[in-house]
Amino acid sequence: MLVTWKYRPRNTFIQRLDPRTRWIFLFSIILALTIPEIWDYRIVFPLFVLSLTLFFMARIEWKDVRRAFIYIFILVFFIVGLNALFFGRGGPSSVLDPSSPVLFFGVTVSKAWFAITQVTRMLTMALLAIPIPYTMDPNIYGTAFKRMGVSDKVSFTIDLAFRFLPTFARDLTITVDAQRARGYEVEKLKGGLVARIQRLAPLIIPVVMQSTVTGEEVIDAMDLRAFGTAPRSWLKELRYAARDYFMIALGVAIFITCCVLKWGFGIGGFFVPEFFTRLVT
Amino acid sequence: MPESPLVIENLSFQYRTRPEPAIENISFELKPGEMLLIAGSSGCGKTTLARCINGLIPRSYRGKRNGRVLLHGKDVAEMQIADMAQIVGTLLQDPERQIVASNVYNEIAFGPENLGFPRAEIIARVEQAMKRLRIEHLRDRETFNISGGEKQKVALAGLLAMNPSILLLDEPLASLDPASAYEALEVFRSLTDEGKTVVLIEHRVEDAITARPDRLLYMETGQVKYFGSIKDLPTEINHREVKLPAEWVVKRVRQMGEKIDKRSSPADKTESIQNVERGESLVVFENVDFRYGDETPLVLQDVNLTINRGDLIAVLGPNGAGKSTLVKHAIGLLKPTRGHVLVEGKDTRTMSVAQIARVLGYVFQSPTHMLFAPTVREELEFGPRNLEFKKEVMQQAVKESISTVNLNGLEEYPPLGLSFGQQKRTTIAAVLAMRSKIMIMDEPTAGQDYANYTHFMDAMCRPPAEGAQSLVAANFAATMFITHDLDLAVTYANRVLLVGDRHVVADGPPEEVLKDFDLLRRYRVRPTSLLRLNLELLSRTGRFLTAEALAAYD
Amino acid sequence: MNDKSTWEFGTRQVVYGAIGAALYGVFSWATNILFPLPAAGNVTFRPAVAVLIFFAVAYGPWVGLLAGFIGNMIGDGLSGWGFYWNWSLGNGLMGMIPGLIVATISDFRARSTILKAVGWGTLGIIVGMLFASLTEMFVGGIDLNTALVGYFTPAFLGNLVVTVILLPILMIAFAGVAARRGR
Ligand SMILES: Nc1ncnc2c1ncn2[C@@H]1O[C@H](COP(=O)(O)OP(=O)(O)OP(=O)(O)O)[C@@H](O)[C@H]1O
Ligand SMILES: Nc1ncnc2c1ncn2[C@@H]1O[C@H](COP(=O)(O)OP(=O)(O)OP(=O)(O)O)[C@@H](O)[C@H]1O
Ligand SMILES: [Mg+2]
Ligand SMILES: [Mg+2]
Repeated sequence: MLVTWKYRPRNTFIQRLDPRTRWIFLFSIILALTIPEIWDYRIVFPLFVLSLTLFFMARIEWKDVRRAFIYIFILVFFIVGLNALFFGRGGPSSVLDPSSPVLFFGVTVSKAWFAITQVTRMLTMALLAIPIPYTMDPNIYGTAFKRMGVSDKVSFTIDLAFRFLPTFARDLTITVDAQRARGYEVEKLKGGLVARIQRLAPLIIPVVMQSTVTGEEVIDAMDLRAFGTAPRSWLKELRYAARDYFMIALGVAIFITCCVLKWGFGIGGFFVPEFFTRLVT
Repeated sequence: MPESPLVIENLSFQYRTRPEPAIENISFELKPGEMLLIAGSSGCGKTTLARCINGLIPRSYRGKRNGRVLLHGKDVAEMQIADMAQIVGTLLQDPERQIVASNVYNEIAFGPENLGFPRAEIIARVEQAMKRLRIEHLRDRETFNISGGEKQKVALAGLLAMNPSILLLDEPLASLDPASAYEALEVFRSLTDEGKTVVLIEHRVEDAITARPDRLLYMETGQVKYFGSIKDLPTEINHREVKLPAEWVVKRVRQMGEKIDKRSSPADKTESIQNVERGESLVVFENVDFRYGDETPLVLQDVNLTINRGDLIAVLGPNGAGKSTLVKHAIGLLKPTRGHVLVEGKDTRTMSVAQIARVLGYVFQSPTHMLFAPTVREELEFGPRNLEFKKEVMQQAVKESISTVNLNGLEEYPPLGLSFGQQKRTTIAAVLAMRSKIMIMDEPTAGQDYANYTHFMDAMCRPPAEGAQSLVAANFAATMFITHDLDLAVTYANRVLLVGDRHVVADGPPEEVLKDFDLLRRYRVRPTSLLRLNLELLSRTGRFLTAEALAAYD
Repeated sequence: MNDKSTWEFGTRQVVYGAIGAALYGVFSWATNILFPLPAAGNVTFRPAVAVLIFFAVAYGPWVGLLAGFIGNMIGDGLSGWGFYWNWSLGNGLMGMIPGLIVATISDFRARSTILKAVGWGTLGIIVGMLFASLTEMFVGGIDLNTALVGYFTPAFLGNLVVTVILLPILMIAFAGVAARRGR
């Protein structure tokens, strides 16, 4: 039971990008869709295709992400189902167009189209987010945040958290073994819910308490090496290459375009395309 | 004339939360290129003194401080931490906790980065530090995955990158196997020869003197008992508090005219071990192979082994040899990839760990990995409860085990609030309460000081003076412990297993296995002075004895 | 350093923020993958939340914020789910709010302290999960009801149950450890 971070070096376009570029691009797309509230399929679908392309370019194996996708699909269908079927609201008010023909159980054409757009829109964002742990070196998170203007201390907290991750995972493994040797059976948590959660205490307490003691020593070790006395110089250098400028420009352009279209020209709001109405009715 | 790098004048310190001072009236001075060894039992104030030198006192720890610590003529209490950090480099006991970066290169660069040095300067310093300790090959490794000895070198390189003139090493050998400890000491020596002032804190005096320290400071309860040359044996040093070479102990015991401890007298030991009935095999390994993952190499290969009633086994071998892996098979935490492990005749594959736990108790190395309950009593009830003991049986078992390890009066105390030694005893009691027949301990003495661990091992494995049985003999049919301390095998075991290269490479009584120095060296076990002395006298003693007992033979 | 000022941000906060985050990540992953607890409906139980709130109560609001934010990032990353900024922020808030009482605590074993910690923990869970659920309205385009029923209620209930059960146990254990190490 060794915890492994999902990252593996792969020689892909995505991984050659500067980590800052990837964060900036992710946020550009999220903001482009959410701030001007874009629901127009003519914008959403191309962006979905873009995300999907980038996702495939990351060349992550399907077996790695299968679980994540199953989870996301269950969540998306549950939420979208709840949204569309039971409450029938969400998104722009035009979804509730009373003149829209009913398909079944109160689901109108416009609600159905909304659900489709909504899934696409959610996936557009998720497809950019999922590859991050697989394709970004954990050693670079701290530096990336630092170079995006986050403070020394907060950036270093991120680095330190990754440093401790395998240590605590190993501590947990040892504790599980130690308690099993005392007849404790993790697999057979008996009793009701409360009892079962209580029965996790023998696993959680030793690891957490050990870590609080470790912390005191780490504080000393860091103080003794002058942590926090001056602005840190971070050894790792990050340099933007042409491809980074391109991706950042693309992200920002998408964001600006969405804003201009929505607020300048009134394009980008929700509507049901005619072909869909014709198709389903 | 240049100022001394380190001058301490009448230094005393009392922690805010303590009624008594931790150190009192300490004064000494060190020159460049000098190595000072500080020894003393647990709690005598070694770490407190170190904290005064590196400025954590009075900066991070509050309390009453008197006297002065001068670094190159400047009072440490008035220095900036950034300046101080470039004068004193401190290596803490557990490098695992000192390392703050995920990879080696960043770890070494951490200090210079904090000082805000320019990039080129940092790189130059890191390269130099790596070269100095010959660890360039580790530069791209993850700090989590390197061995204990390598971790320690990396932590030391991180200090050297700050270019300190004083090195403060607080029990740096604790987590290392004997061969790695020896290598580390060589490094400390050569750093001293380069002109650094080195303060080495270590209660394993026997090991530490291989680094040829110039002077020795011996402390007892916060005060200096001896300060001076290490050449001739200072009789002030108590051989029960710190670990001394066997010759020194013999000399001291004779000099002091101490009457030789009954318990360690040869007759007694012979009796306790030879008269136990051997027989009945309890655990059997048959052609065991094991690997952790499908694609990983074998960790154990074709291991055959039988644990018999009456065995008191010490398991020796280098780091990563597979010792823990081996004993985890006995309790079924690991199941063999090929072959069988039988506990009382039954295959461990057909039993759950909980079932095996009724027969076989396993004490993990660190008590902090298993203590969780709000009181000692509940901690001890945990095992019996899991095994579904009847209430009266459980209460009886708990009561007995509490008095066996002498934790009376602490029943309602939180185990996490006990001292390390008491915690260790609590874990033993927790296993005792399960009434298993076989006791297995993984490095039972690691992280404890000498006085504590001899006391602990005496209580566990050696019969007390009155001729009663030892704790282990009274409660268990067989015992097995893993250790890096060869002397434990010499003094307490009646059978030694040497594990290395995926195999059990030697198995037999200590007198047989341990006389083959080539074999020991091949598996990174360093013969100790006690072993040598014992072998010299073996024709007269007939068995291995403690250093005190050897004083009777001249 | 015992005189705690609530908003101090030094080495101590960095270290415990990181430790809290790593533990939050490890425990989230462990209960997601290793020994999944029973889920009632779509209420999932994440015992790690009790650890997060414990760290907040013991070490203050910055530690809670960092441990929640970074810890959620790590937990999701380990489980392979990507990065969701609003849930990370929500977890950060969930840790930050109970951290506000750090300066008022002297005895972790006292019944009144434990009740106070559970109370503030609950407040943190409400605010944090409400934040994350409501932002889903903009990100995911869902309506208020869906946000409340689909996201908030299950997250709130799961986290509350776990905190009420495990936080007191953690605090009592910590009182023992703290007694040994006066600083
Ligand atoms: N942070 C602290 N707060 C209060 N008391 C402390 C603290 N650290 C140490 N002490 C006490 O000060 C005394 C000296 O402890 P110190 O750690 O200096 O001993 P030591 O010689 O380093 O022991 P060891 O070999 O176990 O490391 C002990 O009684 C100890 O309990
Ligand atoms: N859970 C694990 N997964 C994969 N490999 C492991 C695991 N535990 C140990 N190993 C590997 O198996 C080998 C034997 O490890 P083991 O812990 O048994 O050694 P050991 O002799 O007990 O060493 P030490 O003296 O350092 O405790 C090592 O190479 C180690 O890296
Ligand atoms: Mg010490
Ligand atoms: Mg081992």
